Amino acid sequence: MTVANPKHVLIIDDAALVRAYYRQALERAGYHVDEALNGLEAMEKVLLHSFDLLIVDVNMPQMDGVTFLLTLRDKELPLSAIPALVTSTEAGQQDIAAARAAGANYYVVKPLKQEALTELVGMLCGVAA
Amino acid sequence: MNEFIEQFLLEARELIEQATSDLLALEHQADDPEKIDGVFRAFHTLKGAAGIVDFEPMGRALHAVESILAGFRSRTNVISPTIINECLACLDQVTRWLDDMEASGEVPSGAGAAADAIVRRISGTAELDAPASPGRDWLARLRDQNPGQFSEARTALRYVPNPDAFFRSEDPLAMIEELPGLISIDLALSDPAQPFDTINPFTCAMEIFVLTNVDTETVIRIVGGASNQIELHALDTKPRADSATTLSSLGRSILEAQVLLLREPRQNGRAGRMAAAGSVSINVLRQAGLEAAAASVADALNDGNAISLIASIERALREKPGGVLSEIVDTSRPSSAAATRVLRVDTTRIDTLVNLTGELTVVKNALGHLATRAQAGLDAKGVAANLRDLQTQLDRLVGEVQRAVLRIRVLPMRQMFQRFPRPVREISASVGKLINFTVEGDDTEADKAIVESLFEPLLHVLRNAIDHGIEDAEERQATGKPSTATIVLRAFRQLDNVIVEIEDDGRGVDVARVREVAAARGLVAADTLARMTDAEIVDLIFVSGFSTAREVTDLSGRGVGMDAVRTVVERLGGRVSIDSRPNVGSVVRLTLPFTVMMTRLMTIESAGQVFGLPLDMVIETAIIPRDRIVSIGGAAAFAWRDKTVPLISLATSLGLGSRVSDAGQARVVITSAGGQLAAIEVERLGERMDVMLKPREGLLGGVKGVTGTTLLGDGRVLIVLDVQELFN
Amino acid sequence: MTVKLIDKNSIALAGTCPSEDAEELFQYLLENRLAVVDWSQCEQAHTAVIQVLLASGCELKGTPAGSFLHGHIEAALRRARGQIRPFAAGLEVRNSRSRQD
Repeated sequence: MTVANPKHVLIIDDAALVRAYYRQALERAGYHVDEALNGLEAMEKVLLHSFDLLIVDVNMPQMDGVTFLLTLRDKELPLSAIPALVTSTEAGQQDIAAARAAGANYYVVKPLKQEALTELVGMLCGVAA
Repeated sequence: MNEFIEQFLLEARELIEQATSDLLALEHQADDPEKIDGVFRAFHTLKGAAGIVDFEPMGRALHAVESILAGFRSRTNVISPTIINECLACLDQVTRWLDDMEASGEVPSGAGAAADAIVRRISGTAELDAPASPGRDWLARLRDQNPGQFSEARTALRYVPNPDAFFRSEDPLAMIEELPGLISIDLALSDPAQPFDTINPFTCAMEIFVLTNVDTETVIRIVGGASNQIELHALDTKPRADSATTLSSLGRSILEAQVLLLREPRQNGRAGRMAAAGSVSINVLRQAGLEAAAASVADALNDGNAISLIASIERALREKPGGVLSEIVDTSRPSSAAATRVLRVDTTRIDTLVNLTGELTVVKNALGHLATRAQAGLDAKGVAANLRDLQTQLDRLVGEVQRAVLRIRVLPMRQMFQRFPRPVREISASVGKLINFTVEGDDTEADKAIVESLFEPLLHVLRNAIDHGIEDAEERQATGKPSTATIVLRAFRQLDNVIVEIEDDGRGVDVARVREVAAARGLVAADTLARMTDAEIVDLIFVSGFSTAREVTDLSGRGVGMDAVRTVVERLGGRVSIDSRPNVGSVVRLTLPFTVMMTRLMTIESAGQVFGLPLDMVIETAIIPRDRIVSIGGAAAFAWRDKTVPLISLATSLGLGSRVSDAGQARVVITSAGGQLAAIEVERLGERMDVMLKPREGLLGGVKGVTGTTLLGDGRVLIVLDVQELFN
Repeated sequence: MTVKLIDKNSIALAGTCPSEDAEELFQYLLENRLAVVDWSQCEQAHTAVIQVLLASGCELKGTPAGSFLHGHIEAALRRARGQIRPFAAGLEVRNSRSRQD
């Protein structure tokens, strides 16, 4: 699907399967998708390109999602203002609170189906359903 | 585990085959009650089998489908293509699971998500306005407990955390706290019968029931990880306002999350958080067509002020389509609406209380004077006599205040009665009978506790009357009755009681059939049965274990019998009876006390039996070393705070046989009755509870030491002791 | 101290009560069956602690400081205690005497 002025989304997750699964859903919905394996790679990418939304998984080697987000939000505007959707397998209050304290705009528990992901990304980016 | 799995696979595949062929048959002919029953039973059995091999997600998914099927059956008995498809889809998924299991030899992990999806889809297909489908006991209870809150709720959930949740560092209530749109929470112990001193505080053994006003998808997003311990139920089917300019529940959830993000106290990254939260909020609002709100948030964002940004988002959350500000519950402040209930009160009752307060003040002042005199050590006898007087006055006044306060709790039946016409209409439609339902005496008053507790039992009696009592139109015409039957729900006062009656002009209770069933089930010995009058036979329908085969099918084996009605009524301190005349009709009569005194009890155990002790008589509990207990004649006593306290063993004084006492110590409850101290030795102390006391009568009337009895929730009798009598 | 035994008649819960407090609270309630629990200074309490309050049927004093406790848990505990136990089965009466007929 081609969309005028597509929104740019960065998927940050160490699982190739997850990245592929999300990519498929989002590209079908007309988003421009990029990927990063962990927080470090993600940081490089956001410095180079501009994104409308980051999908950040919590559990990653090298630099986990929460650390990445903390670092990002500490930077200067407008870099620090990119909306971030945090995903995790954990549903504990501490996990949600930690993500929020790091600057997550929203938190979802995996597994996340493609339709749910697409809907959520749509709302966070302000794209009509 | 292996041998079960093989067996399970065999049975499950058979059941799936059966159910599938029934479902396919139903596609051709939708109203075949036998086939529908077959499908239902297959799902029910499959669910049970899943339980045996501990395949929880499968059980949960099957349960959801089963419940929808059950609700369906009781309403129309014609199955829709949508439901058939959902059942087939569910069976497909189960087959996939079975294949997995066959290949791996164990229960598949990660089946939770697929089970969730099934639950979600099937919940969406049901029309779930009241009454809820039978068997969803907890759901029905939630609804009856908080009707106002229930109607606002869109999702109800029952969360039973794993017993080792605490060991896994989980905090179930904290997760519930994260849910947006919380309306109410209810808590219950998994095993309420477990004595307090045996519970393990590190094991989680409770159930959490929640009502929220967001949809099931949103709930699943938050609780995802615990989904195999949670049962969800979608509630709302009210027509949505034009969704083009409404915030969806996901939108609301996201906005609420932005508010929380903005409230984060951390200094570092503040600017980034604020900007991110602002732009997400604007995105959500624009997408929902709420341009004005989006613009307002954008303005606040430009100002760079977090407080006004939060305020603009909260405003957007409150507005209904059309921009009308409605009464809100500010979600950031504790919701007191959840806790309070409004009661309209007659002003004369308040005046009575005011007068009593005046009289109490007089007594209080007199006591003051008396205290001064006593301190001065003057006229000890005079002081003592005056004290006695005042005590008597106080006694009377406290009694009057209690009565006056209880009168405030009294309200008219109307509130409860007006919930009946609709379910009555639905039940009669579902069995195809014409009923003229009228209500009389709905301004009759009764205690709030009673009015609220009667709904379920009365509904059951009505259901019974419509289902079994009323004949169908042809039969009625054949016996010269009007084809439209009449059912009257009536309430009136009689001395100290409130009487509620349900009268119908149906066929009355089939005495011969009751006799048959009672004999067949061995409820009563054959010769006793032969000697019983018709009226006594009719009363058997209230006996536990009695339900005709038809009742069991109608209520899908999960129903409540008339015995439950009796239990509830007796627990309230009342009685229920039925007056039946063949072919003329029946009257079910509930007699309840007008005012109800709740007593706070503490439970104690001795010689293997549990008793209740009114808490207002208990001074203290203590452990006394046996060498401090002195025998005086035939009695025993010990010194406590400079007084001599007589001691009796509960077991001995109730004639339960004395046991060889526990070596070094005695566990005692020190009570005060009639101004005297007295101690009772018991074996164990239990928990505290509020109960309604029924005065002793019948067999217990002659037993010394018993103040009254109360019925516990499981139908058993708790004997409440009269301490004074025990010691006389 | 998040859980404190004041005297035979009162126990206080304050601040954030972690799951470990459940054991202590349980012991205190077991030994002081008449104690009233004052939770007016309590901000948060782990589910394990709430479970002990629920199981003991103890009387609660004061309005808890925490908004979740005040807004929802307080009402839940009150309903569980004050009702005619719609969810509860009551106590087991192990009757060793034969019933009179």
